[in-house]
Amino acid sequence: MNAVLLAILVLPLLAAGALWSIPAAIGDRLAAAYGSVISGLVLIGSVLLWPQNGGWFAYGPQDLPETQIDVAWIPSLGVRFHLGVDSISVPLIVLTALLTFLCCLYSLKITPRIGRTRSLIALLLVIETGVIGTFSALDLVLFFVCFEIVLIPMWLVIDIWGDHHDAAGRKRAANTFVLMTVFGSALMLLGFLLVQRVAGTLDIVELTSSPVAGGHGIPLVAALLIAIGLAVKVPLWPLHIWLPDAHAKAPTVGSVLLAGVLLKLGTYGMIRILVPVLPDATATIAPYLGAFSTVAIVAGSLACLAQTDVKRLIAYSSVGHMGFIGLGISTLSPAGLRGALFANIAHGLITGLLFFLAGAIKDRHDTSDLRTIGRALYARLPRIAALLTFACLASLGLPGLAGFWGEMLVLLGAYNPAPWLPRTTFLVFMVIAGLGTVLTAAYFLRLVRNLCQGDPAENPPAAFAVDLSRIELVTWAPLITLTVLLGLWPGLLLQQWVAL
Amino acid sequence: MGGPVTLTWTDWQAIAVPLVLALGAVAVLLVDSFWKSASAELRHTVVTLLTSVVILFGLVFVWARRDDFMPAFCRPAVEGPAQCSLVFEPLTAGLWAVLLIGGLGVVGLSAYRLLAADVPIGEYHFLLLSALTGATVLAGARDLATLVIALEVVSLPSFAMVALRRDRRGSEGAMKAFLVSVLSTAVMLFGISYLYGVTGSLYLSTIANRLNGLDPDLARVAFAAGLFVIVGFGFKIAAVPFHAWLPDTYVGAPIEVTTFLAVVSKSAGVAGLLVLVTSGIAPDGSQLRTVIAILAAVTMTVGNLAALRQVEAVRLLAWSSIGQVGFLLAPLAVDNAQAVVGYLAAYVVVTLGAFGAVAVVQRHRPAGLLTDYRGMVRSEPGLAASLIFFLVVLAGLPPGLAGLFTKFAAFQAVIDGHLGWLAIVMALNVMIGLAVYLRWIAELFRLPADAPFSVDIETPAVTMISLCTAVAAVLSVLPSIMFALAT
Repeated sequence: MNAVLLAILVLPLLAAGALWSIPAAIGDRLAAAYGSVISGLVLIGSVLLWPQNGGWFAYGPQDLPETQIDVAWIPSLGVRFHLGVDSISVPLIVLTALLTFLCCLYSLKITPRIGRTRSLIALLLVIETGVIGTFSALDLVLFFVCFEIVLIPMWLVIDIWGDHHDAAGRKRAANTFVLMTVFGSALMLLGFLLVQRVAGTLDIVELTSSPVAGGHGIPLVAALLIAIGLAVKVPLWPLHIWLPDAHAKAPTVGSVLLAGVLLKLGTYGMIRILVPVLPDATATIAPYLGAFSTVAIVAGSLACLAQTDVKRLIAYSSVGHMGFIGLGISTLSPAGLRGALFANIAHGLITGLLFFLAGAIKDRHDTSDLRTIGRALYARLPRIAALLTFACLASLGLPGLAGFWGEMLVLLGAYNPAPWLPRTTFLVFMVIAGLGTVLTAAYFLRLVRNLCQGDPAENPPAAFAVDLSRIELVTWAPLITLTVLLGLWPGLLLQQWVAL
Repeated sequence: MGGPVTLTWTDWQAIAVPLVLALGAVAVLLVDSFWKSASAELRHTVVTLLTSVVILFGLVFVWARRDDFMPAFCRPAVEGPAQCSLVFEPLTAGLWAVLLIGGLGVVGLSAYRLLAADVPIGEYHFLLLSALTGATVLAGARDLATLVIALEVVSLPSFAMVALRRDRRGSEGAMKAFLVSVLSTAVMLFGISYLYGVTGSLYLSTIANRLNGLDPDLARVAFAAGLFVIVGFGFKIAAVPFHAWLPDTYVGAPIEVTTFLAVVSKSAGVAGLLVLVTSGIAPDGSQLRTVIAILAAVTMTVGNLAALRQVEAVRLLAWSSIGQVGFLLAPLAVDNAQAVVGYLAAYVVVTLGAFGAVAVVQRHRPAGLLTDYRGMVRSEPGLAASLIFFLVVLAGLPPGLAGLFTKFAAFQAVIDGHLGWLAIVMALNVMIGLAVYLRWIAELFRLPADAPFSVDIETPAVTMISLCTAVAAVLSVLPSIMFALAT
């Protein structure tokens, strides 16, 4: 299994390098097919990694991850090249591989207007390496390095292939994204270094088995720095200001990866590092984390009600959903953490689908402004409109679809948080978050009403109103299937985390 | 008998490298002056080869003796171990390696057809080797007199090099640098005289010993004196607020000389300051360290913020090199030689490469604007990829892991030194620095370009830039090489 892990990490990187060495003229034509093959192989590899039993993450002292690679890298700084996967990381790795594969597949037929497909695919592959590396790093510095690998490629994706109507806007969006994230990750690095100063190691396995005790002083500062750094990535209110622009201006594949995968780096970091390595300090900041998450849920939903741009609306809905995940983590309870992990995957699938759909609508109307697109999509693009309705229902947490279980478990966790947390506070959070789900339902139903319903006679069809194309169906089918499957059979994932 | 017996001893091997560099300098000058019959190309090649051989000797020597300890010009001290004027130890080996590699890189980038034709090559290489001689002595110096003289031996050839082209911009740049340098030397000598007055010695080890037992009044004088010495160095390495001379000088000089200033001259200054700090002039807990830390914070912030507004490539590199000095000063303030030398190594390699790439473009587009680089990923993919890699290393982001890990080591040093506020300032500057380099990278990627830069790049330039890329790539994969330099 070690070879597989190393292979899915290195293969996309080497493939990207190889792609860049092909002349642009040939490369642009072959890139999408080539990228689909490579990311397909990575997807197969990632599924092979699926743990057979509960996996490592038992928070227990002796268990080690089944699959790991551990070699010294920079001895004088205490940095090791330590990789490993367990039942927490593998589902996220599979999600990453799946979404990258679907993005490459989608690019076979549908690419941003500016072209340069060769570089776009190569950058997607580099992003894949960075994300999988982050999900499998078991050394704090390696985690940090992989966390940063993603930045410049994503910056380029937004800056070059972003919204072609608004060059200044996409540049600003790309810069805001990369600069805020880099500042956040620098703060996170400071936190890691404080951990190293106290504990004398950067190894996540060692740190998990003998965590840094103490809820004040240096551990608290370290936890705060790490939490702020990761919160920029999540993003947690009020650090979310980079998100709406970045998502709205990015090309479809960029938005899908950004929302589906990159946001998970933050929540994964919290679950993998913050909670087990600094348990006492995390308990100290957990109520504040919960409070900001709750604000994020409400603020995200309210912002959605005011949006007139379909991509911005979905972007803001991510703020709300990520708020749920943050709240789940802050409860520090098994139910909450499991809910957060489940919501991570569900949000990746559903929001990925939503951004694909938003991209499809945007491509057909050459705008993502709801007022310009008009209404009555049911009549003009019946299949796409039906899928949009399905995705909206999944996203607002309809029972029986994937979005439901994560948020329900989070609310359950907030009802019964870890015993050392103030229960009353979390009960309040639970009530407000429950209110948030109502708001979520409100803005998604408003979206469906404003976009899909209406009198077709009043809304003239767009010039190229082709309904669902074959490539779109093929690309979206796995997401739709998994959304239904996880909704009907949540145990598929939840049983992975029984040891939590 | 009565008085103490004055007895000095020297391990001559310790000064073998500076000596050979100095002899090489004279030889180069003689070859160029007495061999006028040969063609310019042949003379240039021979001079380049001769200079490279001399520097390579130094590198081989450093490699062979990297673990040795060789003192020179020593005499018994009144208290403690013997006091020496020049010492070759592992730290010296690391600094010499960085300085010599920097020098070698500049020589490579000044090959025939790369160096402007109106620059006299004999003088150029003579001055370069002389400055390198001073730089190596400076990195090994252990008494204040040697330190000042070595610093002057680095500085004086540098001004002459800036003025080599004899046009108005060159003279202006040289004049500015010269005046600032004279001023800084005066300030430094003033500080040194007080240090001598307070401690009665010029040897760094003895000064460090005696500083401990000073009574409070004298300690205040010693602090002021140390401050003057640091300010003197601050001028040389262009730490803010002593940086005003740097951008004009960088722009005024021929670009190879600018490379030399950014790589060798700057590293020499940092090496000198590092020697001062490691030998105990600013012991743990002294206010001088706080001064250096403040200097670091201000330097990196001002340098990066100013770089953010530049539209010319060389000016951007000039200001960002000020920012980089700030990052070098941060681990220096906590006396972490390993982090400083590691940072210096990565900085030297990629700065050589970046200036090499800029020189290629500037030979054909003298305006040197960032917009000249537009669309280069398509028209000149190799050069563009290298330049992007160098810039990313300077920014400290993947794939430039050499830069990332040296910045990491700097952060680690500062955190271990309990300077949390400086670490926060550094984190902010990582962000500002990234913004600086991204502006340039964005230009390289911007397509379609009206008139993308595309030329037949000279072979020596291709070789040097590829070499720098390869070294930076190796340092990125195996960063421990950089951190092994100083231990």
